[in-house]
Amino acid sequence: QTRTIRGNVTGAGEALPGVSILLKGTQRGTTTDASGRFQLEVPESNAVLLFSYVGYQNKEVTVGSQTELTVELMTDNKALDEVVVVGYGTQSKRAVTGAVTSIGYDQYKDRSFSNVTQSLAGKMPGVNITQAQGAPGLSPIIRIRGVNSITAGTNPLFVVDGVPLENFNLNMINPQDIESVEVLKDASSAAIYGSRGSSGVILVTTKQGQAGRTAVSATFEYGVQEVAKQIKMMNAQQYIDYYVTAKNNGWVAAGGKATDPNSARTASYRIPEDFLNNRQLFGNGTNWQDAMYRTAPLRNAQVSVSGGTDKTQFLFSTAYLDQDAVLDQNYYKRLTIRSNIKSAVSKRLTIGANLGITGINDRTEGTQGKSDVISLALQSTPIYPVYNENGNLGPLDPNSTWNRFVPFNDLVLWHPYSLTRFYHKKNRSFNTLGTAYAEFNILDDLKFRTSINANLFNNRGDSYRVAKQGYGYSSVLDAAATNFSTYSLNWLSENTLNYDKQFGDHKLTALAGYTAQKQRDEYATVGANNFPNDLVETLNAGTVSAGSTTASEWSMLSYLGRVNYNFKNKYFLTAAVRRDASSRFGRNSRWGTFPSVSAGWLVSDENFMSDLKAVSNLKVRVSYGVTGNNQIPNYGAVSLLGSSNYVGNGAIANGLRNTNIANPDLRWEKNNQFDIGLDLGLFNNRLNITADYYNTVTKDMLLNLPVPDITGFSTQLTNIGRMRNRGFELAINSKNVVGSFNWTTDFNFSLNRNKVLKLGPSNAPIIYTEYVVSVKTEIGQPISNFYGYVFDGVFKNQSEIDGYPHDPSTTPGDPRVRDVNGDGRITTDDQTTIGNYQPDFIAGMTNTFSYKGFDLSFLLQGSYGGEIVNQNVRYLGIWNAGRNFYEDLTNYWRSESEPGDGKHFKPTISPKGLQEKFSSYWVEDASFLRVKNIRVSYALPTSWLSKTPVRSARVYVNAENVFLFSKYRNIDPENTTYRPTNYNAISTETGTIGSTGNASFPSGAMIGVDYGSYPLPRVITFGIRADF
Amino acid sequence: CTNSFLDLAPISNANSENFYRTTADFDLAANAAMATLYTVYGPEGPVSYAGEIQSDNVTLNAVAGIQADKWAYRDYTLNSTNTINYSFWQIYYSALYNVNIVIQKLESASLNEDYKKSVRAQMLFLRSLYYFNMVRTWGDVPLVLTPITAAESYTYARKPQAEVYQQILSDLQYAAENLPLASATTKGKPTQGAAQTLLGKVYLTLNDKTNAARVLKAVYDSKQYSLVPAYASLWSNTNKNTSESIFEIQFLGGSPTSPYSEYYQTFFPAVSYTGYIGGGINQVTNDLWNEYEPGDPRKTASIDTGYVDTKGVFQSIKFPKKWNDKTTPVTTGKVLGLSNFMVLRYADLLLMLSEATDDPTYLNQVRTRAGVPTYGSANYPSGRYGTLALALEHERRVELALEFHRWFDLKRTNRAIPVLTTKGKPTTESKLIAPIPLTVLQQNSIITQNPGYN
Repeated sequence: QTRTIRGNVTGAGEALPGVSILLKGTQRGTTTDASGRFQLEVPESNAVLLFSYVGYQNKEVTVGSQTELTVELMTDNKALDEVVVVGYGTQSKRAVTGAVTSIGYDQYKDRSFSNVTQSLAGKMPGVNITQAQGAPGLSPIIRIRGVNSITAGTNPLFVVDGVPLENFNLNMINPQDIESVEVLKDASSAAIYGSRGSSGVILVTTKQGQAGRTAVSATFEYGVQEVAKQIKMMNAQQYIDYYVTAKNNGWVAAGGKATDPNSARTASYRIPEDFLNNRQLFGNGTNWQDAMYRTAPLRNAQVSVSGGTDKTQFLFSTAYLDQDAVLDQNYYKRLTIRSNIKSAVSKRLTIGANLGITGINDRTEGTQGKSDVISLALQSTPIYPVYNENGNLGPLDPNSTWNRFVPFNDLVLWHPYSLTRFYHKKNRSFNTLGTAYAEFNILDDLKFRTSINANLFNNRGDSYRVAKQGYGYSSVLDAAATNFSTYSLNWLSENTLNYDKQFGDHKLTALAGYTAQKQRDEYATVGANNFPNDLVETLNAGTVSAGSTTASEWSMLSYLGRVNYNFKNKYFLTAAVRRDASSRFGRNSRWGTFPSVSAGWLVSDENFMSDLKAVSNLKVRVSYGVTGNNQIPNYGAVSLLGSSNYVGNGAIANGLRNTNIANPDLRWEKNNQFDIGLDLGLFNNRLNITADYYNTVTKDMLLNLPVPDITGFSTQLTNIGRMRNRGFELAINSKNVVGSFNWTTDFNFSLNRNKVLKLGPSNAPIIYTEYVVSVKTEIGQPISNFYGYVFDGVFKNQSEIDGYPHDPSTTPGDPRVRDVNGDGRITTDDQTTIGNYQPDFIAGMTNTFSYKGFDLSFLLQGSYGGEIVNQNVRYLGIWNAGRNFYEDLTNYWRSESEPGDGKHFKPTISPKGLQEKFSSYWVEDASFLRVKNIRVSYALPTSWLSKTPVRSARVYVNAENVFLFSKYRNIDPENTTYRPTNYNAISTETGTIGSTGNASFPSGAMIGVDYGSYPLPRVITFGIRADF
Repeated sequence: CTNSFLDLAPISNANSENFYRTTADFDLAANAAMATLYTVYGPEGPVSYAGEIQSDNVTLNAVAGIQADKWAYRDYTLNSTNTINYSFWQIYYSALYNVNIVIQKLESASLNEDYKKSVRAQMLFLRSLYYFNMVRTWGDVPLVLTPITAAESYTYARKPQAEVYQQILSDLQYAAENLPLASATTKGKPTQGAAQTLLGKVYLTLNDKTNAARVLKAVYDSKQYSLVPAYASLWSNTNKNTSESIFEIQFLGGSPTSPYSEYYQTFFPAVSYTGYIGGGINQVTNDLWNEYEPGDPRKTASIDTGYVDTKGVFQSIKFPKKWNDKTTPVTTGKVLGLSNFMVLRYADLLLMLSEATDDPTYLNQVRTRAGVPTYGSANYPSGRYGTLALALEHERRVELALEFHRWFDLKRTNRAIPVLTTKGKPTTESKLIAPIPLTVLQQNSIITQNPGYN
């Protein structure tokens, strides 16, 4: 005898579709429909129903005599049994003994970034994600627990579906395909990645289909991007005033008189007549930032289909992103296709494959700083119009009236449009990341997994420079074209054994593995000129004039092992070890061993805690481990020969010379990290707190050590020195209000203190200099202190100069530099630490409110106590060959009676008195508070959708980089033009045409220096998502 | 198997481990060592800055880079943090490494002794040329004669000038004995004549006129060299390696992948010209312009008086005319210069010979070629150049103008302070020696600073 009962299921005040209902003791069951209703045949008596739904607590309901059930499910606060991905496997959150932060899909699903890590900024303690430049497709700089190396790279290791990839650009993975991102922060969790774990590991796991009905979801977004702030530059009138004064002051210093006419002056001191008596000609001139930036749309469409049976599950997805950049002519288009399939072939054998294909077409410029196009928009002289009267770009047009000003400029900058509109560039990249695996259960408790994985990256780029560039740079420079291509294949073979067994109260999990990985990079470039005209831009139309191909490889063999043990699910112990051998290191020392051990104690499960009702979860964790850093050039240990040709008897005489010093003993940089952490859940896990303290000591640092120049070289790659990072991290997660109205707050805070303990043989400080900007690394200090003079304003008159130590060339209006050592003279000994980019602390806070389908959240992100070097001062803060100036330079020193604001020098084309030296004039406060993100979303009521095939639908508005509170004169204090590593000759980063990377200093040492970076745009996106 | 998987040799660069074995290897290494001349004698290299910018021949105004550091050479305000001075230190020692490694690897190479001698002699010529310049620039310098490791470098203090000169003399003597005579196949390579001429210059600098006269006379008597008839033709970029050339740095030019010279562009005024921007270095002073006697054709052969701008207007400004690459191809803003650079030429030898022997015969050969009255003749401006020493000072200035000799000449003859101070250059004894760069002092605490710098 059966009867039919009906009912509806709700959770958090809403109908729950898809809740699974099972008649206890049978296989019979059903699921709720889109409006949360169900109907089921049950026996007349003793029927008990089991309700289960992801994210909610299971519930048993005794039917009794009821025919209409109303069931409310409670949200599941017992987060301890959530599964967290760790290296080579998963663990329940309960069993995690290291410092791992996990971010699920919900946290970034509506964000408009193309790179998932961009959505994680401000969300994870101990993980400092800074978007150094805002060009589409550019990876952020990620620092996990401080900076662990001085000159080797400090990028974390990316592991995508188990494949470790160095310098991978996560733009290649559509964020909507990502199930979760886990960050392994401490050495014990990262040690399983051994030689590559010292800067932390970011695990990215893509989604898998679920057994059950086939789910289809579709998303469409439309967004608008704009540059929220412009740098205040002089207009034409202000510029002319400054220019005239600078030329006159320079001429006076050279022995002339300010009243001398041009005919009495030498060429470089002459002033255009129009500047003196026809200034109205120029008006306010051109705002080049207006010319270069635009409001740019973005569109993003995505469809995914997933589902499967008990045996086979699948997920297919495709997405297309079409983004114009805020910079003139730049764009970014990306197509991603993913297929993840998993099938149980038999009881014992499961096979699967994940395949992700990404194609990117883009044009990305402006990220190189210095003289790249974004910087040029600041440096360009405001007196010139964007287009001249002939429709050409520049004053170099011999038929333009503007041509008469050319002889007065020391140099002619590229007109920014000559680079964007008369230089045609495009990039096309393709990335395929595939993993194929088989899992075989040898015994019930013993599983063998083997996989073969490959990442194939191809990039092709074309550029064509139109003849004469519309007179934007030169009246004669002819057409030229280049084409380059890169190829990079990385393959990995991985074999692991997993053992998992419960013995009474004891549980043991063990892992052993062997992996082999190899990468080959190839690069080819061809150049041509002699184009007859600009009709055909491919190289066949010209004469090939240059070509080159290069290739390089690395390989790595690894053994790994890990044992997890727990007693009564309360006491946890993990030990892991990895042995790596890499081709990058000298034969004498290529094997490295990276052990770790960690323990956890779930205190809250002890009997003595049962009276403390307020404490729902308390776990203490402690760990110690060793990780390594291998981010050096592929052949860093060998002495390479480079070409250096001479000419003999009228022909090229080929020459070869040693380009570096060999070091056959080159070995890993090793990080020893201790971590102690606490996870605390209070009031039925309404309030969760995670706190960690860590202490890391890096030894044998891979250092491009400056060596005495009399060796013939300036640096040698060697292992030397010691550095410490210690820090504290706090994450608080609070459900402030629960019910039909929900309010949660996620807060995180981290601080890191970095200190150099030991350096080269003599412990001598290491100073790297770019132009005049110096960074100094010395014992007892954090790395890369900005090192220069202290700028104490401007000398108002001669008696002030006479009364204070000064450089002999100083005249009134020149900078006053502090006599730091008090010896009564200004010497090089007066240079001192004038800042450091590392902040005292960083913090982030997300507040989320929800009510009846409405969700509102906003993310604040802040950084306090760091400094930034504005290297643009070189061009915009001091006279530099007639480039434009910051607007605040209008308050310059004019005379003793008009001393200006006391902060800006006397203009002169012959800057003396330390005007050009690196001083605190260049250094600014990098503290900021940012409204990083605001999101509003609304889930359409299911009742609206019940007559449609749509099961649920949501509309949302997402705003990124909404507002920035900062004192920084340029756009954003997170801007830095240098990258954390300069060894990746080839990476999956696109948009590297014309890249300039051959500096004599390690790029990472110059983080925190802004040389004219690409602004981070404000992006507002409207989206709709529907599930079928 | 493990090792074969992990032993990955560089693919796109040769590896030094299996180099330095055959004569072909040593030819390549010696060519690379010769190529260091490009930086040492480059238009913005250490010899150009010392020889010209510190002198009264040239000036420089707006230039690229850290202007104040460049003006310091002009104004005698060099200090230990001058970035140009430091880069010169690096240029010399990097060049010396390339020379020393060839010398060292030759020792153990099992090759024909004659071959080894000839390559070693070439390298020793280069080494002595570099140390000669260095000792005149910085005074005492660390004397590095083999490739050294970083650890060894900490034991290398500065060696007294006398010791450095001793090494220069012995290197040059070896070179003079083992280098070949000039021939059609020695273009751009050191020869016996080159080593002897340089040796003569070193002796003159050491005020050893007897030995100077001896070696210079030997070159003179060898009759391998002669003055070309037309002075101006010496700097035609199609007339290279003339009979007057004793040691000449070779360039091919015309293509970005051939070694090309940048003298013309660098010495062009700092303005945007047809497809390139001039460097504005070594802009000629009126003082040099006025040094020429009336009718001396060398004036207009050496100095350009201006250029025609893109609008066809003549802009008046004086700059070097030698190394003429006006019509040479330009690619992406670079003039791909064809011109060679003569480090030593016969006119220089003749003038040195007069200096060493106090015999004006050789001086007068130079003057005769220029078509100006000979020393001792009625029309000679003896009012201005009353002694042979002054006559030679004048003659060297105009004959060798802008060829990086002037300041070294004034310094050798102890005339730098009296001559330069009257021209507004605050020259003192200590300023005739450049400071040791601060970075060098910081690198190694046993390195000392020169007097007058802190």
